[in-house]
Amino acid sequence: MRGTLYNAVFAAGITLVLTCLMLGVQLNAEGTALTVQGADAERWIWIIAGIALVFFVQLFSPQIDAFFGRMPKPNLAALKPEESKWRVIKPWAFSALIVGMLIWPFMVSRGAVDLATLTLIYIMLGLGLNIVVGLAGLLDLGYVAFYAVGAYTYALLSEYFGLSFWVCLPIAAMLAAFFGFILGFPVLRLRGDYLAIVTLGFGEIIRILLNNWTDLTGGPNGISGIEKPTLFGLEFSRRVSEGSQSFHEFFGIDYDSSQKVIFLYLIAVVLVLIVLYLINRLMRMPIGRAWEALREDEIACRSLGLNRTVIKLSAFTLGASTAGFAGCFFAARQGFISPESFIFIESAIILAIVVLGGMGSQVGVICAAIVMTILPELAREFSEYRMLMFGLLMVLMMRWRPQGLVPMKRPHLELKQQ
Amino acid sequence: MTEASLYFLQQIINGLTIGSTYALIAIGYTMVYGIIGMINFAHGEIYMIGSYVAFIVITGLLGMGMVALPVVLFIALVVAMVVASSYGWAIERVAYRPLRGSNRLIALISAIGMSIFLQNYVVLAQGSRDVAMPPLVSGSLVEFGSLETFQVTISWMQLLIWVVTLISMTVLTLFISRSRMGRACRACAEDIGMTNLLGIDTNRIIAMTFVIGAALAAVAGLLLGLYYGVVNPFIGFIAGLKAFTAAVLGGIGSIPGAMLGGLILGVTEALTAAYFPSEYKDVVAFSLLVLILLFRPTGILGKPEVEKV
Amino acid sequence: MVKRFSKTLIAAATALAISGAAQAETLKIALAGPATGPVAQYGDMQKIGVTAAIDYLNANGGINGMDVEGVIYDDACDPKQAVAVANKIINDGIMHVVGHLCSSSTEPASDIYEEEGVLMITAASTSPSITEKGYDLIFRTIGLDSLQGSLAADYISGTVKPERIAVIHDKQQYGEGLATTVRDALVDAGIEPVMFEGVTAGDKDFSALIAKLQKADVDFVYYGGYHPELGLILRQSMEKGFEAQFMGPEGIVNSDLAKIAGEAVEGVLATAPKSFDQNPENAERVAAIKEKGEDPTGPFVFPAYAAVQVMASTIEAIDSTDPIAMAEYMKANSFDTAIGTVKYNEAGDLTESTFLVYELHADGSKTAAQ
Repeated sequence: MRGTLYNAVFAAGITLVLTCLMLGVQLNAEGTALTVQGADAERWIWIIAGIALVFFVQLFSPQIDAFFGRMPKPNLAALKPEESKWRVIKPWAFSALIVGMLIWPFMVSRGAVDLATLTLIYIMLGLGLNIVVGLAGLLDLGYVAFYAVGAYTYALLSEYFGLSFWVCLPIAAMLAAFFGFILGFPVLRLRGDYLAIVTLGFGEIIRILLNNWTDLTGGPNGISGIEKPTLFGLEFSRRVSEGSQSFHEFFGIDYDSSQKVIFLYLIAVVLVLIVLYLINRLMRMPIGRAWEALREDEIACRSLGLNRTVIKLSAFTLGASTAGFAGCFFAARQGFISPESFIFIESAIILAIVVLGGMGSQVGVICAAIVMTILPELAREFSEYRMLMFGLLMVLMMRWRPQGLVPMKRPHLELKQQ
Repeated sequence: MTEASLYFLQQIINGLTIGSTYALIAIGYTMVYGIIGMINFAHGEIYMIGSYVAFIVITGLLGMGMVALPVVLFIALVVAMVVASSYGWAIERVAYRPLRGSNRLIALISAIGMSIFLQNYVVLAQGSRDVAMPPLVSGSLVEFGSLETFQVTISWMQLLIWVVTLISMTVLTLFISRSRMGRACRACAEDIGMTNLLGIDTNRIIAMTFVIGAALAAVAGLLLGLYYGVVNPFIGFIAGLKAFTAAVLGGIGSIPGAMLGGLILGVTEALTAAYFPSEYKDVVAFSLLVLILLFRPTGILGKPEVEKV
Repeated sequence: MVKRFSKTLIAAATALAISGAAQAETLKIALAGPATGPVAQYGDMQKIGVTAAIDYLNANGGINGMDVEGVIYDDACDPKQAVAVANKIINDGIMHVVGHLCSSSTEPASDIYEEEGVLMITAASTSPSITEKGYDLIFRTIGLDSLQGSLAADYISGTVKPERIAVIHDKQQYGEGLATTVRDALVDAGIEPVMFEGVTAGDKDFSALIAKLQKADVDFVYYGGYHPELGLILRQSMEKGFEAQFMGPEGIVNSDLAKIAGEAVEGVLATAPKSFDQNPENAERVAAIKEKGEDPTGPFVFPAYAAVQVMASTIEAIDSTDPIAMAEYMKANSFDTAIGTVKYNEAGDLTESTFLVYELHADGSKTAAQ
């Protein structure tokens, strides 16, 4: 008991030190002079309440822990049906899910569809980075660079050569993969966190170059008026550019601006499904197994005769090409891109998606991408407290489920006990 | 001396000044990394908080009519170090300690979340505008070269930055090499499990590295706050990034490496800005990092990693 | 304040069903801009202006009896979030937008507003490309960069006549655009700047740049950008004993410049529209803003105020909140607002925005330059 009292007093004291100067006193500019000002009474009440809260939580921490310990933990695994049943249900469940995803946008509002599109972009990015970080175990903090490469590839090709979205999509993926290859080749012999900082540096270099190369990329002005994707040449706009036909005219229906939003969403769904399918196949191929093996034990892999460089490079390149895919689509969705969209915090968010999802797990990445994009939007009601909540929730989620939302499970056989 | 060499000298002086503050912040990264192998992304925010606290204390004391500048600065330094250390300690306790033992990346994401949280916390507490303070330490100490060609100046403020950095580094080095705690600290960096078995409270040592790192970041916060005279809630991110680069450059985990890395980074930036368009200085700084790591994969003073089977 | 806005936000979310604002008893105006992130301070200025204008309207009977309500949407100056915000505004059935702030957010958002028939007035985005697309519903209450750039160049070549000019900018849309205009105009006038260089916005250390300027023997510096960086350049120049005449655009005219740079501000030149908060006609508005404990001096406060005024007087005149009808009326008429007389051309730009050259002083005030 004395121990907890001491802890509680100590924690309350620290809270006082933390808050009294930063929250209790405000820097204020009067004219050209700087002054300090004590906060108003309301804020002090909050501070004192906060300190009291910390004190009592610490004081009763054994009781609180015990209380939460008694609460049954939700058992997600129990929700999943048995293996034999699951095998029957699985294809049906997936088909139902896909059909649901295709029908859903026609029933909800434009904003919701648009948000879903954004989520799908992050799912794509998350799946791509998942190959690099989750499967191959290479920490990449500059993933956004490849995203930028993809976006700028489409924007520039469309602006200078008038190429369409569908032509640019594979080009963007290939170019991003090429960048991944170029970067990966020299740096992959670095280990762990050295690799992280080099990729971080690379991400910054790409962004600064895009910002400074004004003649080509428009520098900070970005590129605007990027063409939207078309459906076999049919455009989704009220007024059509010369020589092409619009979707609503072709089918003889009324123009509705939500058609375009839904069309973009459907493209995103298709892209995500393609990416998912490819990665799932790859994971079952020898190269996919090699990624995981390399992550688990590099030396063992090498002694088994696996080529370390080829394996790492393939993971890096594939991850990059997925980002290029996503980038190309992002440019088409935005209609405008500038270097501001490709800052470090973007890489950090994507990484957070992978880690929060449970490294390596695809279902987890999808869940995490949904959480990470919907959360800031839901938090809009908190106005300027929005980002504060977001940061806090990131910390809390890591504490709550350090293994990720849906930890990866490897297919395995168990010996049945007699 | 010719104009070109005077100009070069001036840029070196500028670079060393900014480099010493990078070094101070980099210590926090390198010490934490050396012991628990995680990148503490929230460290830049600690520097920012230190800067704010220093501003608040200095303005408050001057406003109360205290005029002896050295005393004011000293009190500000102490208070900033205490408050920043408390933040460092609290962050470790709340955001990192519960995650110990799980994957390293988990703690990294927690750190990024903490960084977003702290930035927005300061925005809410102090507003997002730049807060500016009139220059307190002004004037120059040395001026040489002629007015016609180029004049090299070293200001009192630059000297103050060098001296304080030097003192902090010396104290830290002595502490690490001589004191009991310092020895425990080095033991932890060597093998944390073994140290624990030897009866040393490793949790305490880890908490202490966060406290020391935060205190040094607060020193940098005060110095840079005085040097630039401006603080806003977003200065932590870029300073943190630069300091982290410096730490890796010097070999992460090595304290002399962080000092060296900071100075090299500062001088590189100044020289790039001097002879090339200054918008490319970050590109050059990061390219240098990539190059050095290609030839010395563990940084300049980092220990080569031994692969154990 | 905070509470009220979060309440209005919740109210807006639940009022999805209300599509046309005309049937509603309150007119909702969306205020889109950064409430979080590094440029939140500029978003604040916009918010101060808009809320002051709305408070004034409501205190005087609203618009044609309708109460006005401002709803804040935070885009954090992130283009991606700007698109989400624009879609959300449309979802919420709001037909009138003041914003966005950063040109990079305004660009993608304006595409959506135009398509959805939402009227948008930006009080801060100066990029020419926003109105170049020939949209009908996109307006500004802030002048284009090109106007003040050429004025600055004329003043430099005609009045100051310096020997060696350096043009520095902050690598942002606003600053670089202005700096390029000034440089080109100077070259046309037969003066070749000895230096044209960018710095990193948000950077704090300019000692290397200053040494470079010293070495190049520059006696006149034009800076395209905002006050935080210029303030530090001025302050560090004084420390280093670098004496040159500095000049900047309206983005530097801010009381914070004097706070950052102190004495070094004395004599700095700037092109700026007539300062709205000093205008005697705005005395009442300034007092009202100050009464709430807010700062009326920011460069975007009164353009944002004027944006609300333009909307309000249009709705009053045509007795309709239909954006297309409003846009037609706005292009055909002129308005008397807090930033003077507002008249639009076909593109939605101000036809006249008068900039003057000012000399700034260390106490934060400014006087017309000779």
